[in-house]
Amino acid sequence: MKPWKRKSINRETKMKQKVIFMGFILFLFTAVVAFSNTELERLDNSVFEKPHRPGAVFEHDDHNEMAEIDDCAVCHHVYENKKLVEDESSEDSFCSDCHFLKANQENLISLEVAYHKQCRDCHFEENKGPVLCGECHIKE
Amino acid sequence: MNAFIDFIMGPMVWIAFLIFILGLIFKLVIIIKDVNDRESYIYSYLTLKHSLRSIFAWLIPFFPQSTKQSPVFYSISYIFHLLLFIVPIFLMSHIVLVNEAFQVSWVALDDGLADILTLVVIIALVFFAIRRYTVPEVKYLTSYKDYILILIIALPFITGFLAYHQFFLYKAMVIAHVISGEIMLILIPFSRFSHMIVAPLTRAYMGSEFGNVRHAKDW
Repeated sequence: MKPWKRKSINRETKMKQKVIFMGFILFLFTAVVAFSNTELERLDNSVFEKPHRPGAVFEHDDHNEMAEIDDCAVCHHVYENKKLVEDESSEDSFCSDCHFLKANQENLISLEVAYHKQCRDCHFEENKGPVLCGECHIKE
Repeated sequence: MNAFIDFIMGPMVWIAFLIFILGLIFKLVIIIKDVNDRESYIYSYLTLKHSLRSIFAWLIPFFPQSTKQSPVFYSISYIFHLLLFIVPIFLMSHIVLVNEAFQVSWVALDDGLADILTLVVIIALVFFAIRRYTVPEVKYLTSYKDYILILIIALPFITGFLAYHQFFLYKAMVIAHVISGEIMLILIPFSRFSHMIVAPLTRAYMGSEFGNVRHAKDW
């Protein structure tokens, strides 16, 4: 066989090996994804009448441990007359008690915007954590 | 990474929109100045009546004769141009971002419908690319730049579609979506995309030439 022909065959077999290898990796990846389908802990979004996205994935304790947050009021804040009340926290009430589905004069920040800003603004400030829509609203 | 995302979803959006709008205004000024300097005789027959008649005649689907001669192409073109604006402007995910930034919102398309319409836009662009490659008289006028322009419009829609479905590489897909959208906006004043403001000028000229000079029953 002429040397240049042999070379091309070699290249072909190499290509084939590569394809088989990549196929195997893809298969492994799919298998891992398929079997690791454990239920994710999500925020309760039952207040929304017709939620457009699945509730945001949020593991409260893991998050706070990783973010080293001990003070509840960092997220569970209290506002009175549009001013932050220091040293008071609101973890015993629902977010939706103050943030309504639609922004109004009483509270300019709707529930949806409150959640988005609460999480994302901090993640931008700290330069870590998810900030893109689908990073929290992971498809069910 | 978040600092980079903050930049492309914050200041870069402002930069892109400013270049898009100011660039188009600048382009308009340059064109008018050019006409004044070199072809000011146009004003001797340019009339508002004939200009508007031509602009509106070409806004009515299948009213001008040449649009009747290529019904398939013009159907796709009309639908494409409408969806090019409707889908991004009335997309819920976009409205959510605008609402958070400016406290304004408007009606949104149903996500499922927007999904289908996105595919329609992509299919239309594929059609335009195939047409440029196969129809001889169009191929003659086509350079590689035209395919690049088709790709530039297609990218935000393709990446948006893939990101919405979270098929793979979600984060990279959204970043590509934002950047490709900004590139598209920035390129509008400097490319053929500027036909969004230049086309009415062409119509004003043609309408006046045919209506006011040749007195042809044409617009």
